[in-house]
Amino acid sequence: MDKISIPIGPHHPLLKEPLSMRIDIAGERVLGGTLRMGYVHRGIEKMTAQRTYVQDVHLIERICGICSHVHTTTFCLGVEKLLGIDVPPRAQYIRALMCELERVHSHLLWLGILSKHVGLETVFMHTWHDRELALDIMEGISGGRVSHAANQIGGVRFDLSPEQEVMVKENIGKLKAQVSGVLGVIENEPALRARTQGVAPVSADLIRDYCVVGPVARASGVDVDLRRDDPWPPYDQLDVNVITRPEGDAWARTLIRALETRESLRLCEVLLRQMPEGPVTVRAPRKVPEGEVVTRSEAPRGEVLYYLRSDGSDKPARLKVRTPTLAVLSLLPEQLSKIHVADIPVVLAGIDLCIACADR
Amino acid sequence: MNQIDTDALLEKIKAETGCQPEVYQDITDEDALCIPVENLEAVIGVLRKDFGCYHLSGITAQQRESQPGKIELIYHFWHGKGVSLLLRLPADDPKVASIIALLPGADFYEREAAEMYGITFTGREETPRLLLPDEWDQGPPFLKREASDG
Repeated sequence: MDKISIPIGPHHPLLKEPLSMRIDIAGERVLGGTLRMGYVHRGIEKMTAQRTYVQDVHLIERICGICSHVHTTTFCLGVEKLLGIDVPPRAQYIRALMCELERVHSHLLWLGILSKHVGLETVFMHTWHDRELALDIMEGISGGRVSHAANQIGGVRFDLSPEQEVMVKENIGKLKAQVSGVLGVIENEPALRARTQGVAPVSADLIRDYCVVGPVARASGVDVDLRRDDPWPPYDQLDVNVITRPEGDAWARTLIRALETRESLRLCEVLLRQMPEGPVTVRAPRKVPEGEVVTRSEAPRGEVLYYLRSDGSDKPARLKVRTPTLAVLSLLPEQLSKIHVADIPVVLAGIDLCIACADR
Repeated sequence: MNQIDTDALLEKIKAETGCQPEVYQDITDEDALCIPVENLEAVIGVLRKDFGCYHLSGITAQQRESQPGKIELIYHFWHGKGVSLLLRLPADDPKVASIIALLPGADFYEREAAEMYGITFTGREETPRLLLPDEWDQGPPFLKREASDG
């Protein structure tokens, strides 16, 4: 059968962000594909060198519209390490709480998108409704649904009042019940199983070769989560259950994210229970001593890496950001080969693309 | 996950490749080695084969004020803890062997460094641009060409 190349994107109803793909097919079989990015490349790495560290926190928050908080956290951790600052324990806990809430809202958003792609409109409606609860919590704490501006160098910008703690606990209780329902659908719904089980399986060896991170790696049995394996405080004081599945298919990638949502909600409760009293920030100098540092965090999509070099001024000499989507995207051409045309949306959704992150 | 013993890594690299890596101590709380450009593939081979370190987190390209005429590449590996490899390439002809045959996951990182800093990765097929527009004709956008270039 003749090979046909189908261009998809950069603007396409299937994609929420601009990405260009060329997918080669023969009949109903996909033979492979190539990618083209950069449509939302803003040169943020370069821009950080022209702004002060204080300004950069706000710029970096704009790298991603979903996991904005983990980016600023990872950046601040690096700057604080170079400054030799110890962040107050309460600030560390608030940072981690926001990270976990971000994971909940990111995973629920993704579960909705996948459900829509496989035709489960009801699950899409439910997960996006539930996600609002997570966003309400973060808005209630920070004033922002997506850009929370929680971090500053030396700590966080706001404390958690007793009334806010009550609100967070109540909403987390509601979310736990809702997520249990979604989990039941993923585990038992025949339509979802039929569309995802055995689709585009990826072996652990392939995951390692392509240096893939996050839930996609864990869905193929690669047991790595930086919250446990290379933690920053307070994760070193928490007992994070790392969830893995051996299947490596689209169903495992779905189940992993639902289970991780439940685990994140549990961690939120632990963080609230153990949250120490005290200040939430310390004063940080504007100039950062000469030095280099690498910081890593477990973002909702996996490992995010920041490399920072300071020349002793109040602006970074070089900031490098490697986002998890970039690591996972390299696997896409490999995943696309040998699937059916009808499975393309499921495979694409399974990666949990964040193009703004990947482009920076 | 057992972290890599830097001394053992150094000894193994010396024994296997014959090169003399320098321990680079300026990265806070992380092991880093400065290695000759021609030994990159062999050193990564040692990391993978002898230490089970397969995860490349990314590649940073940069220019240092203290190293004029050089472009530096940092390969950020991770195995329970960060392990970085530093290479210094001549800025007038920055070339280094591609490692995608060893680690296909390095593909996008190499292409980004090639487009943003003009580095040539040898031994790999020429690919279309990943990030820059096709019509971009002003050279690598992150490369500082003179002191006033920001």
